[in-house]
Amino acid sequence: MAGYDLSGSVKEVEIVDCDVHPYERSVDQLREYAPKGWEKELFPSGREISPAFLYYDPPDYVHARSMRYDAVTPSGDRPGSDPDFATEQLLDGAGIDIAMLQPIPVLERLPEADHARRVTTNNWLADVWLDKHNAHGRWRGAISVSMRDPVAGAREIERWAGHPYMCQVLMCPQSRVSFGDPWFDPIYEAASRHELPVATHVMGLGPFEFTPLNPVGNQTHWHDFLPSWSLLYVSHLMSLVFDGTFEKFPNLRVVFTEGAFSWVLPTMWRMDAYWRARRSDVPWVKRSPSEYVKEHVRFTTQPLEEPPVSSDYKEYLGWMDVGSLLMFSSDYPHWSYDAPHWASRFFPRSALNAIMRDTAIELYRLPRTVLELTSRDSGRSMV
Amino acid sequence: MKRRGTAVNDDVPLRRDSHDHLVCSVDDLPPGSMMLAPIGQFGVGVYNVDGEYYAITNYCPHQGGPLCRGRVQGTSHAASVGAGESSYVSEGRILRCPWHQWEFDIAMGCTITQPTRHIRTYPVRVEHGNIIVTK
Amino acid sequence: MVDASVQPSFRSDAELRDYLAPEFRSRAFPSVEKVWYQAPGGDYHPDLWGEDGVRPGADADVTARFLFETIGADSAILNPLTRGNLPDYILNSAICAATNRWLAERWLEGDAGTTFYGTIRVNPEDVGGAVAEIERWADHPRMVQIGVPLQSREPFGKPQFLPIWEAAATHGLPVAVHVTGGAGIEYPPTPSGHPRTYPHYAAFMPLNYFYHLSTMLVEGTFDKLEDLKFVFADGGADLLTPLIWRMDTFWRSFRDQTPWMTRYPSESLREHVRFCTNRLEGPVEESMVSPWMRQLNKGALLMFASHYPHWSLASPADLPAGLDGDDREGILWRNASDLYGLSERSS
Repeated sequence: MAGYDLSGSVKEVEIVDCDVHPYERSVDQLREYAPKGWEKELFPSGREISPAFLYYDPPDYVHARSMRYDAVTPSGDRPGSDPDFATEQLLDGAGIDIAMLQPIPVLERLPEADHARRVTTNNWLADVWLDKHNAHGRWRGAISVSMRDPVAGAREIERWAGHPYMCQVLMCPQSRVSFGDPWFDPIYEAASRHELPVATHVMGLGPFEFTPLNPVGNQTHWHDFLPSWSLLYVSHLMSLVFDGTFEKFPNLRVVFTEGAFSWVLPTMWRMDAYWRARRSDVPWVKRSPSEYVKEHVRFTTQPLEEPPVSSDYKEYLGWMDVGSLLMFSSDYPHWSYDAPHWASRFFPRSALNAIMRDTAIELYRLPRTVLELTSRDSGRSMV
Repeated sequence: MKRRGTAVNDDVPLRRDSHDHLVCSVDDLPPGSMMLAPIGQFGVGVYNVDGEYYAITNYCPHQGGPLCRGRVQGTSHAASVGAGESSYVSEGRILRCPWHQWEFDIAMGCTITQPTRHIRTYPVRVEHGNIIVTK
Repeated sequence: MVDASVQPSFRSDAELRDYLAPEFRSRAFPSVEKVWYQAPGGDYHPDLWGEDGVRPGADADVTARFLFETIGADSAILNPLTRGNLPDYILNSAICAATNRWLAERWLEGDAGTTFYGTIRVNPEDVGGAVAEIERWADHPRMVQIGVPLQSREPFGKPQFLPIWEAAATHGLPVAVHVTGGAGIEYPPTPSGHPRTYPHYAAFMPLNYFYHLSTMLVEGTFDKLEDLKFVFADGGADLLTPLIWRMDTFWRSFRDQTPWMTRYPSESLREHVRFCTNRLEGPVEESMVSPWMRQLNKGALLMFASHYPHWSLASPADLPAGLDGDDREGILWRNASDLYGLSERSS
């Protein structure tokens, strides 16, 4: 690995980053990995133009493109598209020992195309990030499956199960169908059989058809749009509980990524109260909702909330069982990145190791040591 | 908060104490440009905003991002109460942190939202055509 | 004690039809009960069906006895349900008008009427009609607020609704948002589609207030209308802290897109937003209640509501143990009394 000597010692894993976004360097790079017959359809060239859905824009979008401005690669390519630069900036620079990669494949109009796009992404991730640029063994991947075709998704899980670095399944939550719907059963069946958690991540900028459909109409700006991602997860969580998914799949573990987590506390109270009041409506729900959540669901930490009085936040975190529920995440290379050493200051000391590494190590069956990254350069350049 | 300005001390004999850092000559830092000097742990960015020099630490008070890697631009100003008309103001005076895009007024040394968060700033002076930052 | 949200019922659709302007009397409209999301066993509390089969909430005397004797209210704010967001917005406004006439005549007159207050129902999809309806009833001494459905095709911060909120604010009338009855042009009740179970629906539905609130904050609605107050009558204050903090977090990043937002979003809540209580939300553990209430000063934002005659019916005994005295007083009567100017009205 250029710039690093890996022949030295191992080090103890101190920080697992549960939400890092790899991007392809170019359409040409990704096209090579498309399933046979799909190259032209997924990656039109020639006179077709592939525009992006741009109607909710993060700050300074034209220049930053949703990314940390300083994460542009040395060759001037898109942030997150160079595994070696990410090694330098995130693993070495920010002190991350293992990073759980969550690609964000584009949402396609047709289900079969959506599936083919995810097959492409899995092929690319496995080759570029998990093989060619993983001599340090620090990258872990996710098997992307289409929310539009769970049966095909289950086949994709079978294809990758057993891969040494594929540690979870990844699905988009903007499905118009709640996660507890039997529609998703093929994915849960395959994932839980292979003991792979199912993670979900909001796919952000996408077609209106797959933007979370707000029950009372859509917001005006990204600023009011962003908190609503939490409500999308609230509804999915209520569905997983009240539709009995965890009874059907007792091994299933679910990870809600980048949707915040402080909403989980009042949501558990709310679900418990409605369950106690309406048990006969859902006889298949045999335990209290909060018990299911504590056993089956995990949440990544980014973005932490920053209320005007920061002591309020620390007090609030003290009310939650953060040591069981949370896993640290940075969201590198996005603009809403949480630096690990900043984030860790908010967590109760007694739960710090659990949040920064132990819960993720247990969930994903990660090693407790990794190869030390010893820089070949004597000096350290300024980040 | 008073806007900070640059002291120009051409009449004072050349002096250097241990806290003075010679950044560059004034020719190297025309209006609208920035020089990142290797001062301190994170570096110090020296900005020329309309002929005045300002030195700020390359460390965002939010999460420690490399502030001086951010873009300098203007910003929007509301002309109405509530959503409606706005205008573009402060061209060249606003620095956006490259991470979370917080907007800092370079001359004032703080965020432009309320309550303000401050950037660590340092005195800048010009002596015999050289830009000197004191840290 | 002030009961801040009670839903009186028409005896039947025929009774509503009697109050409709004559040109609408042969029109069809939905029943008040919801079609897809009615609670198994019915939306009304089972104990409230009279032996005579009268719909719960339809008899003013029975309702008055329950509220003022059984649970000890001194006054109650009546907010009748309407029939959904109908595509014929003029018909919908006519239903609102009929509801208001019925409420004034059957509930707000006479002896029982001295302890009932009412809501001026309006249809947000008929802006001109809504403003006219507000003007028609604003001076009625017992009408204390405007009522709109929670369901909408656009969040209430969008500019087309401003004339309605302006009329409300001008007359010092808060706007109460409440899940409506009937069936209309509505999106699925959750952002992940139609819920399969009733508890999923019932637990999520009130939380849709936040979409309205977040857009109102981003559009600066409360800055434009300084006297405007909104009441989210189905509850949802339990999720308020985490959700509004998420908005606070990114305010500094988004300032340039919304430069008229000059302060933290959460700072607008005290002056402009209230919530009714709901016994199925919030902390149950006694030691948590007081610290939970202190954050965002929820003690000043909440108003007790029975939600009579709904199955989730509550009494003051359902308020959590562990509330400190001042918060309890605020929730039981003072916040509502201040908001609606009840002591001025009754003098």
